[in-house]
Amino acid sequence: MDANFDQLDELREAGLARVHAAADSDALRLVEREFLEKGGVVAALLAEIPKLAPEKRREGGQGANQLKTAIQNAIGEKREALLEASLMVEAGGGSFDPTLPAAPMERGSLHPITQVTREVEEIFQSMGYTVLDGPEVELDFYNFQALNIPADHPAREHQDTFWCDHEQNLVLRTQTSPVQIRAMETLEPPFRVIVPGRVFRNEALDATHEHTFHQVEGLVVGEDINVGQLIGTLKSFLTEVFQKETDVRLRPGFFPFVEPGFEVDIRCPFCDTGCKVCSDTTWVEYCGCGMVHPNVLRAGGIDSERWSAFAFGMGLDRLVMMRNKIDDLRQFMGGDLRFLEQF
Amino acid sequence: MLISYAWLGRHIDLDGLDVDEVARLLTLHTAEVEGVERVAPHLDQVIVGYVAAREKHPDADKLNICTVDVGDGEPLQIVCGAPNVDAGQKVAVAKIGTMLPGDFKIKKSKIRGVESRGMICSVKELELGDEHDGIWVLDPEAEIAKPVAAALGMIDWAIEIDNKAITHRPDLWGHRGFARELAAITGRALRPLDLSLPSTGTARSVPVSIESKSCSRYIALEIEGLKPATTPAWMRQLLLAVGQRPIELSVDVSNFVMLDLGQPNHLFDRSKIGSDGIGVRDAREGEKLRTLDGVDRTLSSEDVLITSGDEPIAIGGVMGGEESMVAAGTNAMLLEVASFHPTVIRRTATRLGLRTDASTRFEKTLDPTLPMQAAAHLVRTLSDIVGGLELPSAATDVGDWQDPSSVIELRPDRLRKLLGAPITDDEIRSYLESLGFQVGRVEEFGWLRTHSPTRVAEVGATLGGAAGIAERLAELGRQIDTLSLTPADIAEIRNRLESYGIGVGDLSSMSVSVPSFRATKDITIEVDLIEEVGRLYGLTRIEEQALVVSAKPVARDRRRQMVRAIQDRLAGGARFHEVLTYSFLPEELAQKTGVADEAYVEVVNAVSEGWNRVRRSVAPSLLGLLENNLRHRDDVRLFEVGKGYLPADAEHPGDRGQPRQRHEVALVWGAPKPGKKARFDADRLSALKAVVEDLCGSLGVELTWRAVEDERPAWAHPARRLVGGVEHKKEFTELCFLSSIDPRVARALGVSADVAIGTVSIDALVELPDPGSRYTPLPKFPGIKIDVALAVPEALPAAEVVLAIEAAGKGLVKEIKLFDLYRGEQVGEGRKSLAYHVLLQSQAKTLTDKEAQKFLQRLERGVEKHSGELRRE
Ligand SMILES: [Zn+2]
Repeated sequence: MDANFDQLDELREAGLARVHAAADSDALRLVEREFLEKGGVVAALLAEIPKLAPEKRREGGQGANQLKTAIQNAIGEKREALLEASLMVEAGGGSFDPTLPAAPMERGSLHPITQVTREVEEIFQSMGYTVLDGPEVELDFYNFQALNIPADHPAREHQDTFWCDHEQNLVLRTQTSPVQIRAMETLEPPFRVIVPGRVFRNEALDATHEHTFHQVEGLVVGEDINVGQLIGTLKSFLTEVFQKETDVRLRPGFFPFVEPGFEVDIRCPFCDTGCKVCSDTTWVEYCGCGMVHPNVLRAGGIDSERWSAFAFGMGLDRLVMMRNKIDDLRQFMGGDLRFLEQF
Repeated sequence: MLISYAWLGRHIDLDGLDVDEVARLLTLHTAEVEGVERVAPHLDQVIVGYVAAREKHPDADKLNICTVDVGDGEPLQIVCGAPNVDAGQKVAVAKIGTMLPGDFKIKKSKIRGVESRGMICSVKELELGDEHDGIWVLDPEAEIAKPVAAALGMIDWAIEIDNKAITHRPDLWGHRGFARELAAITGRALRPLDLSLPSTGTARSVPVSIESKSCSRYIALEIEGLKPATTPAWMRQLLLAVGQRPIELSVDVSNFVMLDLGQPNHLFDRSKIGSDGIGVRDAREGEKLRTLDGVDRTLSSEDVLITSGDEPIAIGGVMGGEESMVAAGTNAMLLEVASFHPTVIRRTATRLGLRTDASTRFEKTLDPTLPMQAAAHLVRTLSDIVGGLELPSAATDVGDWQDPSSVIELRPDRLRKLLGAPITDDEIRSYLESLGFQVGRVEEFGWLRTHSPTRVAEVGATLGGAAGIAERLAELGRQIDTLSLTPADIAEIRNRLESYGIGVGDLSSMSVSVPSFRATKDITIEVDLIEEVGRLYGLTRIEEQALVVSAKPVARDRRRQMVRAIQDRLAGGARFHEVLTYSFLPEELAQKTGVADEAYVEVVNAVSEGWNRVRRSVAPSLLGLLENNLRHRDDVRLFEVGKGYLPADAEHPGDRGQPRQRHEVALVWGAPKPGKKARFDADRLSALKAVVEDLCGSLGVELTWRAVEDERPAWAHPARRLVGGVEHKKEFTELCFLSSIDPRVARALGVSADVAIGTVSIDALVELPDPGSRYTPLPKFPGIKIDVALAVPEALPAAEVVLAIEAAGKGLVKEIKLFDLYRGEQVGEGRKSLAYHVLLQSQAKTLTDKEAQKFLQRLERGVEKHSGELRRE
């Protein structure tokens, strides 16, 4: 194309039209070469400038540069558009199927009881509790005697104890409560502890009964510990666990190691007016608790006149079951990965 | 235990208290109600009919065709086979469509050609008793067409109480106890009950001798002149409501008294008791008695027997004998009301598998003052029904028992402090009194005498010893134990004590008399009273309070942190699944994994056969899960953090015989066996080794591996096994054990996969010193990568080769990575070739080829010492 300053507009129109019409990057490259590179239109114009009248040179320079910029920009835009179009061809052409499965990322899993135990531990730790552990094969002394359950106490029968010897010296702990005594023996009051762990009751297996299950025990010893604080503690904990304001209701309950002793009902987390979980009562029986019996404090070497204490114990399996609507307790200890990997 | 709503109504006015409210109040204040059920709900459908006419069935002698008016205009024609049906009777009619117990629906039918449009019911058909010799003839006053329940006032509910909630409450094993609770809760009055024994004749009383320690009181009372009579309807209904089958009058009354007051009692046929009277003694080993349920019982020396002369006639506290039992028509009886030792009764009942209503109650430590009241109640109830009873002789009342009533000091301030509720002294007093406690006047300083030795000592220390307090009080002219103080005295003492810095808030105490029916074991100390007040005040009224958290951070627990890190590492990058398995090692699994012969902690009462062993290690439990899981996937990775127990022995006696605990993480990995051409480290054991190395590495522990020297579990492959640990000052601390599965064990478990097993001791990990910082500065100079292949004898461990490489590097070896293991022609029989990437690098300079050559020369010489050679391609 001839370089002619009188035809700058025509040159631009023609150039832009070529850019516009370019069907692929090769065509675009051709335009680029023809206009912008060595020996191209813009170069030819610039070469003409010295030949112009001095007063026209400035104008001529500007015109040539404007032409260059216009073509350059148009080519840039067109190139982007062509690239975008070529990518879309791949997508629209059907080679990519968003519903095809990806190669699976294998993963491991933590047992749901571990997960809930951690959650419970974290909540209580944030409330100033220390987490303790205790033996599963326990001395009768800690599991019963020190907990105000002497030999021949009827409560022993209700607990369906596994005995590890005929002298009834060793048991598989029926509760996490023995660690209360172990805590009192080692810690200086005031203190607050929780004890998660596995416990055992000699019960035949079915969907709602296990001989091995998990509890968390809580014990708070202090100078003015009272029932109101126990209620407050349970409420705060439950509100955290269920992630919604959860009301509790205490009613009398008998456990030899507390006095007064309470059963705790919680406001059904699943309904407002009654459902299957709460048998239409809006209350769900949840755990046992109470003010630690003076005999128990004494057995742990704590002056029951100076210190008072509350304790609570709750089932962790039940918590997992409630939250996940699991109906068969046996799955927890069954070791079937098809169940476990869901958590 | 079942409580009848209507029965409660005998003891307390239930006006305005429906059964749901009663259940709610009892649950919130006394004991959990597990359910409320309408008694005999079918009586709402069965209606009162009037037999207007009766004629014989033309084709059947024994059948009657009745015309029954049921009040809706057209009388029903009903065919009835009962011999006692007759015109003019009011009867219970089940119309067509009515559902009777046992899912029995009444349909229109034809009996021997005659249409029958309903059924006239017997007592048995309505489950109201055993009589089935005829239809139930109702009160002639019963209103036609009304449901039987309403017409006869048979509307009742059975309230089911959770037995576990009342094991500590002997007073709640009868209706009057629950009525007393309800009265206290609602502020109503308990109806008075005359429990005095009517006057008796002057004949010689029946002699009773107690030779057993298990019986603390025995009352024997002769009752004569019992005329034949049936049990009144009201009593039958109440008994039925709580599931007690009516039998005959005297037995029914005996049961009624037990269910009313909670005191078991027994009636003997007087004619079966010899002139020696009654004996109470321990049974002789092997002695036999046929109990009234017709079963021959063999007794042991721990059972207590009631005898006539020496002849057994009843198992004390559990069940009477068949021979001496009363029956319809017995007109002279001997009433036994006694107190037995709770544990003895429980053991006998458990051993004989014979838990009766009586034994269940005696187990609870009944009030020993109750027997005489129960005797009176029985006599009065029976006499109200039949009249004309005679008590020929005074009751014999023997035994060594004491009234358990006691007095307990209650500090109201202590109560308020423990419950965290502002309950006033007056409220405390009124709650306790409504439950039958007596509250003495508020006694200032009562606490000094009794309850609080520590507190006295504490105060004493301030005042110059406990004697000091007495002295101070003596200065005021008073003794502590008389304490007849005037308000002015009290004010002065308060001032004095306050001047010593002693708070006077809790100086006043109440002296509370505990009635015998609460004193046997439930209420023995101050907090027991606090519980009583709390539950009557209303636990739901106690307001929640914040428990302030101290600003002190909670100490971190290294073991727990470690367990958490291990779980996360394994479930994360290693892609293992965490399982929890039973602490029991079942016989079958113990056999299959070959560990049955080791020493175990064993439970003596296994949940099922072969479930006695408590596991020593978690590993076998995981092996037990392989087969099932491998059926659903071919790569199974399991771990469990758990505890095993090793029984105490001479070497490890343990604390009071407690077994040694082993806290560990066990891992099992099953996957297809590697192919022939797979790399040398493609098997599970190598893979698991990498997992454990990574796991320990993440905890800052660099493992050293060793061959296993001592004996190891039977599930471990005899050759393919190793231990890992750390070496510190030439001391090797073992941390973990890894092995392939023994192929025989794999076969027994039904597993054909390549399986590796590992255990890592958390106990040992926790004991290791904190690893501290693991930072090394980044290299400043480039290194040289050299690949070397070393042919060595098969028996030379790779670890020795690595040592040789390190030695040849003179401190410049930064990295050694095995990338090939070759056996074959090129290296010859009995030899292997190990090929390594080695990185030499210095922190001081850039290494040159010269240093690389020197390294290779040294290495060549080094491996020669092991009969090895450096292979050059
Ligand atoms: Zn609900």
